[in-house]
Amino acid sequence: MTVTDQIAPRRTFAIGPVLDRYYGAGVSTVSVLLFLLLWEFAAEWNWINIRFTSQPSQVFRAAVVLFQTPVFYHHAWVSFSEFVLGFALALVVSIPVGLVLGTSRRVRLFVEPPLMALYTAPRLALLPILIVWLGIGMASKVAVVFLGAVFPIIVNTIAGVRDADQRLLQAARAFGANQIDIFLKVLIPGSLPAILMGVRLGIGRGLLSVIVGEMFVSEAGIGYQLMTYGQGMHMNNLLVYAFVVSFFGYGLTMSVRVLEDRVRSWRSVA
Amino acid sequence: MSQIEIRDVSIEYKKPKSEETFVAIQGINLAIEKGSFVTIVGASGCGKSTLLLALAGLIRRARGSIRVEGRDVTGPGPDRAMVFQDASLLPWRSVHGNVRFGLELQRWSRDDLNERAARFVRMVGLGGFADYHPHQLSGGMRQRVNIARALAVDPQVLLMDEPFGALDAQTREVMGDELLRIWERDKKTAIFVTHSIDEAIFLGDRVVVMGRNPGHIRDVVEIDLPRPRAAAMLDSAAFIAYRRKLREYIAGDMQSLQMIKDVA
Repeated sequence: MTVTDQIAPRRTFAIGPVLDRYYGAGVSTVSVLLFLLLWEFAAEWNWINIRFTSQPSQVFRAAVVLFQTPVFYHHAWVSFSEFVLGFALALVVSIPVGLVLGTSRRVRLFVEPPLMALYTAPRLALLPILIVWLGIGMASKVAVVFLGAVFPIIVNTIAGVRDADQRLLQAARAFGANQIDIFLKVLIPGSLPAILMGVRLGIGRGLLSVIVGEMFVSEAGIGYQLMTYGQGMHMNNLLVYAFVVSFFGYGLTMSVRVLEDRVRSWRSVA
Repeated sequence: MSQIEIRDVSIEYKKPKSEETFVAIQGINLAIEKGSFVTIVGASGCGKSTLLLALAGLIRRARGSIRVEGRDVTGPGPDRAMVFQDASLLPWRSVHGNVRFGLELQRWSRDDLNERAARFVRMVGLGGFADYHPHQLSGGMRQRVNIARALAVDPQVLLMDEPFGALDAQTREVMGDELLRIWERDKKTAIFVTHSIDEAIFLGDRVVVMGRNPGHIRDVVEIDLPRPRAAAMLDSAAFIAYRRKLREYIAGDMQSLQMIKDVA
């Protein structure tokens, strides 16, 4: 422990680590800024047709206006609640199902074929059926979000449980663990990284599902607004909504990734 | 009556994808007195770990009986605790959390848990590392945690399956000393499986030598060295004599295997 201190001369200034830490974020920020600048001036100098592409400054102004109208919040709220409901339902169903399927070979053999068929099939293809069953209101969108998110979480949870370290299970049994102990204290914490990865994939799928679902047929929501503005060639407002969805999805995905990294950290050195 | 009585125990495994069975150990008889330190040594494949797992109640026996304090062993129980080889610690729990693990599973009361876990973490010399995770520890430290986890549940019998097998030679010696120091405090019955002859002699009151095809007990050697044991004894005449004797047993086993290979 003490020997290594003598080998490498320490950096005198604290600036080095700070730079390292923000280097990645810095490069990414520059890239985004450059893109926005290019877009702004390309539109300004008529390299591109502003009617089709709009312009960052115009989108920004449109956003300022839009964010002050109750209409925006109404549609955002509709999409948000459809997403949250569908996703919460997916979480509640997928994790227990994944845990059971991961543990029991027999159940897995029985359930896997239809599960895999649904996992690989484009679930948005089911949207017309869902609309016939559930109508054009929220329910059909909640269902399609659920279908989008549930499978990646199930599949990853199964993988996490099946990867469980047999030595840990044996150790737990030696101390008298029953099946519930093994689930709660070994299998679930052990497969948490895999479960979170499934959640992260599920967020993307669920978000896609809600937007496309609303575009397809609905009376409200961000997808509905995108479609309306698209048809009316209102590029500024359309892009505001598109950015809102992107930021929401990006933020949510990144927070799960942070959680994932934290949970996975115990694996980093081993 | 001895504390542990193993009578005519055989254990068989089903070979994968066939109806054939593989006899891991056959006709094992062994009595172990309370408070003694018994080591089991033998070439790999002699079934020494299998015997230990049977004592832990983790595998079923085909024949025979194992009794601890007169009670038949039908599964894991709080009277026995096991120290495994490396990598049996929960990687997401801290040192403290790993020691707590056994206590939680055995339903120790809430008040005891933390205090008791902390006490045993200190006992194995890891007081300053209670919040560290296994991946931040050396192999030797991880095995200290493993030992603390087993001792914390206050078992009658401590079962150890090559606990120092993954450690380098120096750490191994230190850990042997340390284990004896801890063991001397309350002299719980200890059964220690190893493939190291020196380790078996250094630690044990008795060394059980196992042979293979199928696994059986060749001999039980009483080790008449004074306790507390010290590293200097490794060079004593008595120690060297034990070592020679045990080495002959195990070398013989290797030879017989070689002959089987030649015939085949």
